[in-house]
Amino acid sequence: MIRWQLAMRLLVRNRRSGEQRILVAALVIAVAASTAIGFFTDRLGRGMANQSADFLGADLTLVSPRPVDAAWIREARAAGLQAIETLAFASVVVGGEELLLSGVKAVQDGFPLRGSMRTAPAPFAPGAETRELPRPGEAWVAQQLLTALDLQVGDPVEVGAHRLTITRVITFEPGRVGNPFGTAPRLLMRMADVPATGVVQPGSRLTYQYLFAGREGEVTKFRDWLEPRLGPSHELVGVKEGRRAVGSALERAERFLGLSVLAAIVLAGVAVAMAARRYSERHFDMSAMLRCMGASQQDLLGLYLPQLLVLGLAASAAGCLLGWVAQYGLLYLLADLLPATPSTPQAWPVLAGVATGLVTLAGFALPPVMRLKDVPPLRVLRRELLPLPSRAWLVYGAALSAIVAVMWTYTDSWPLTLSVLSGGILLVAVLSLVALLLLLLSQRLNTRVGVAWRFGLNNLWRRRRGSVNQILAFGLTLMAMAVVALVRTDLLTTWQRQLPADVPNHFAINILPDQVESFQAFMENAGVATAQLYPMVRGRLVEINGIAVRKAVTKEARSDNSLNRELNLTWTTELQEDNRILEGRWWQPDDTGKPWVSVESRLAGRMGIGMGDELRFAIGEQRFTAEVASIRNVKWDSFRPNFYMVFPPQVIERFPATYITSFYLQKAEKPLLRELVARYPAVTVLEMDRVIEQVGRIFRQVTLAVEYVLVFTLLAGFAVLFAALQASQDDRLYEGALVRALGGSRRQLRAGHLAEFTALGGLAGLLSAMGAECLVWVLYSEVLHLDHRFQWPLWIIAPVAGALLIGAAGYWGTRAVVERSPMLLLRNQ
Amino acid sequence: MIAAQNLSKRVETAAGPLDILTNIGLEIREREAVAIVGVSGSGKSTLLGLLAGLDLPSAGEVFLSRHRLNDLDEDGRARVRGELVGFVFQSFQLLPGLTALENVMLPLELKGARAPGDQATELLTQVGLQGRLQHYPKQLSGGEQQRVAIARAFATEPAILFADEPTGNLDNVTGERVIDLLFRLNQDKGTTLVLVTHDEHLAVRCDRLIRLEAGRVVADVEETRAS
Ligand SMILES: Nc1ncnc2c1ncn2[C@@H]1O[C@H](COP(=O)(O)OP(=O)(O)OP(=O)(O)O)[C@@H](O)[C@H]1O
Ligand SMILES: [Mg+2]
Repeated sequence: MIRWQLAMRLLVRNRRSGEQRILVAALVIAVAASTAIGFFTDRLGRGMANQSADFLGADLTLVSPRPVDAAWIREARAAGLQAIETLAFASVVVGGEELLLSGVKAVQDGFPLRGSMRTAPAPFAPGAETRELPRPGEAWVAQQLLTALDLQVGDPVEVGAHRLTITRVITFEPGRVGNPFGTAPRLLMRMADVPATGVVQPGSRLTYQYLFAGREGEVTKFRDWLEPRLGPSHELVGVKEGRRAVGSALERAERFLGLSVLAAIVLAGVAVAMAARRYSERHFDMSAMLRCMGASQQDLLGLYLPQLLVLGLAASAAGCLLGWVAQYGLLYLLADLLPATPSTPQAWPVLAGVATGLVTLAGFALPPVMRLKDVPPLRVLRRELLPLPSRAWLVYGAALSAIVAVMWTYTDSWPLTLSVLSGGILLVAVLSLVALLLLLLSQRLNTRVGVAWRFGLNNLWRRRRGSVNQILAFGLTLMAMAVVALVRTDLLTTWQRQLPADVPNHFAINILPDQVESFQAFMENAGVATAQLYPMVRGRLVEINGIAVRKAVTKEARSDNSLNRELNLTWTTELQEDNRILEGRWWQPDDTGKPWVSVESRLAGRMGIGMGDELRFAIGEQRFTAEVASIRNVKWDSFRPNFYMVFPPQVIERFPATYITSFYLQKAEKPLLRELVARYPAVTVLEMDRVIEQVGRIFRQVTLAVEYVLVFTLLAGFAVLFAALQASQDDRLYEGALVRALGGSRRQLRAGHLAEFTALGGLAGLLSAMGAECLVWVLYSEVLHLDHRFQWPLWIIAPVAGALLIGAAGYWGTRAVVERSPMLLLRNQ
Repeated sequence: MIAAQNLSKRVETAAGPLDILTNIGLEIREREAVAIVGVSGSGKSTLLGLLAGLDLPSAGEVFLSRHRLNDLDEDGRARVRGELVGFVFQSFQLLPGLTALENVMLPLELKGARAPGDQATELLTQVGLQGRLQHYPKQLSGGEQQRVAIARAFATEPAILFADEPTGNLDNVTGERVIDLLFRLNQDKGTTLVLVTHDEHLAVRCDRLIRLEAGRVVADVEETRAS
């Protein structure tokens, strides 16, 4: 009977063997990558789920651009719910000489109904829970606002025409939903102070939030009562929707992270399979010997499987630890996107990590190790006897099942799993072919290069199966890294480059009709050119050809933003210079007053709107119909005011409107905004330069996070490389001894190795450049709609980086070949 | 102790069936030391493999002690081997990842013996390697490695020891020493010894000499020991 103890002793004795180390290292990498993501998404997800109500500040929130019927609130209170009103708007806040566009929220007693605010008495002091609210005349502000305006607690700030005193710093604030300026620094004030600011004017962009809280059944009942009464501009946010709203921004990042982790796991699996194969082969003799000594097949399994299990568990534990540390990197990189209070880490990602480790091990290592029980004992007399090779279907089947299992946990959907899988297999097949071609080409070069290169290239060609695998492993990883890096650096610069220098970088909205002339004069005086002032009426598209919009459009379009929020409608006689009419014709002078509308082409395409269609709009409580008279192409990135729907004059003029314009300000001219806001308190200035900056920052963070995880993929690639080196070790030792026996020097041998791995890395880099170029081209032309340039630096950087990285690693990995003397090789058979 | 009746081994090769052994019958008594000799390719190793139950004959039967090997499956034969048999081979079959001591401990651990370390140390002392306990096989010379292999073979005090060319890789002097050791332990422990060799010198030191030629027994001679 073989004992567990013996298995463990063998395991410990084997600890220095290369294949066991590689197996463990590869597993650690796979588990670390998956637990890092696991911890991260779990903390994120639970942070959002647990605190969704706290986060919303209520069990149910009704968001509306206008005050709602007071009867609804009475109904809620009658149903036993608590109900309060808050008001959010964007406004430029002035402090000292500085000004900043901020999200302002006005609250009344009772806020928040769920969760609590956290505040600090001074900047950067630790926050503490509070049940209080700012008193009239006071403002609580976010840290960023203090920093941006260079203010202290106790200083005055101006909101519109009203002056408030800052008394506390907000560290966490529930209820940040339905606010279009959610990322702007915050200011919290009393509802009672709002009239004095003069910000609330007819047509101002306001967001009323009605918070409700109560027992679950009552909330549900009230919700059921309320839902049919809601108008098109109302939005109801419950715990579930809140989570989705907050989470959707990160969902895509999570997808990319998941994909990178998957790549890391698959590569690690390949390394595990290679190491396990060698492990198995190195234990044939031992198995035969043990069989001679009387061990049964079951005894052998009892000897090897516990070792495998312990290796798997140990590696998983180490991986979990590493992953736990690594998640802090992710939390740090994505800090700005995360909820203010991330929850504490929990145990299940550890379980998931261990499961990943064991599944990877089982899928990739089990088939070769199972072979050990079939070693014939007669091998002790006839060394050439081998166990039957594992069945191909078993090897690939096990690996594929492992991959599918892991993939499914990431995607949570079968169609996605299958499409990613088949896409991956296709990609690998195509790239393998390309890698083989590259190898063939380099082999052709063989006669024109020096001895060392010839030796190296010959080696690559001789082991071409392994070489292709490695070129692929590194090529794919480098490709992913290159694409992410390119998109990060290129997207923003390309975009900015495509903007003319004096493109407007500020929008002024909420200009009241009676202020239009004085506003224009004010800007002219200041020497700032403004675009035309366009009237803006907020309304919703409710029917297309008499069919409710939600039913009329395709399923995908149903989630379209333009459906769910209010559209800005305008009228004008002049077609904007950067708009082009695609179908129909632009307004003629005698079209004035005709119920026609011109629709933006992309929106029309998405919603299936064509020429002559009857569109029904809702503005406030009123409805009217217009016929599509033209389809327009709009250059959105021109940063001039642009509209989905343009009417001829005198069609919607009877509705309350505010005006919008855009203008360009240099940094030095920014103080003008202060004066502007003081003169026109209701006007909201959107500082697009800041928005662009912020979008850029978030984008950089997400891509950095993805690259961070790709480092694990790269490490897994190295595990594959070292596993391959291990597999060819005996061969290389023999070859090295032979070369030296034939009079080759150590230097020549090493130069050959260096050439081999430099070439390998260079080819992988080349492959990655090809792949990245194609991918970026598709991405730019199909998804991002950017001009694609030939990425020439990529074609230099990728091969050089590949050659350096892999050259160095391979050179180091083969050092043993010459460090061991040929003499020793002879003695060890 | 060991009995073989009408033992034949035939294998299929690309060139048609090949008879390696034909109609071998022999009986080996307890504590006997038997040498199997013959030229290369005469079937010595094959016979040894059959007698030790590492392989099954195409025809005929082998009895080890009271076990009829044909009746047992591979795991059953393994159990018999574990109970009765020890091996020493030409290429030493030490596990390169284990030290000398650990190599000797292995069969003891396999049997679940108590204090395998002490027993193994004792055995290595008996073969004169007490100073090399912690050395790995590659740090030992060929003769030393073979001594470790012998210590390992005797570790479980098997009733029968099979040795295939135990001196094949060694020079004469070293080979002589290894054989001395083998016989000494054989006598001390009362083991039955089946020794395959093409070294006639060595063979004459056994109690009995069986000569194979092209898979047949051509001579079976009892001798008095020359040593
Ligand atoms: N499974 C097999 N398939 C084909 N031929 C075999 C097989 N097993 C043994 N042989 C052949 O049978 C013959 C006897 O082999 P065996 O190893 O028993 O010889 P041996 O007497 O031990 O030789 P040596 O002294 O060289 O070790 C050899 O010619 C060998 O090639
Ligand atoms: Mg032989």
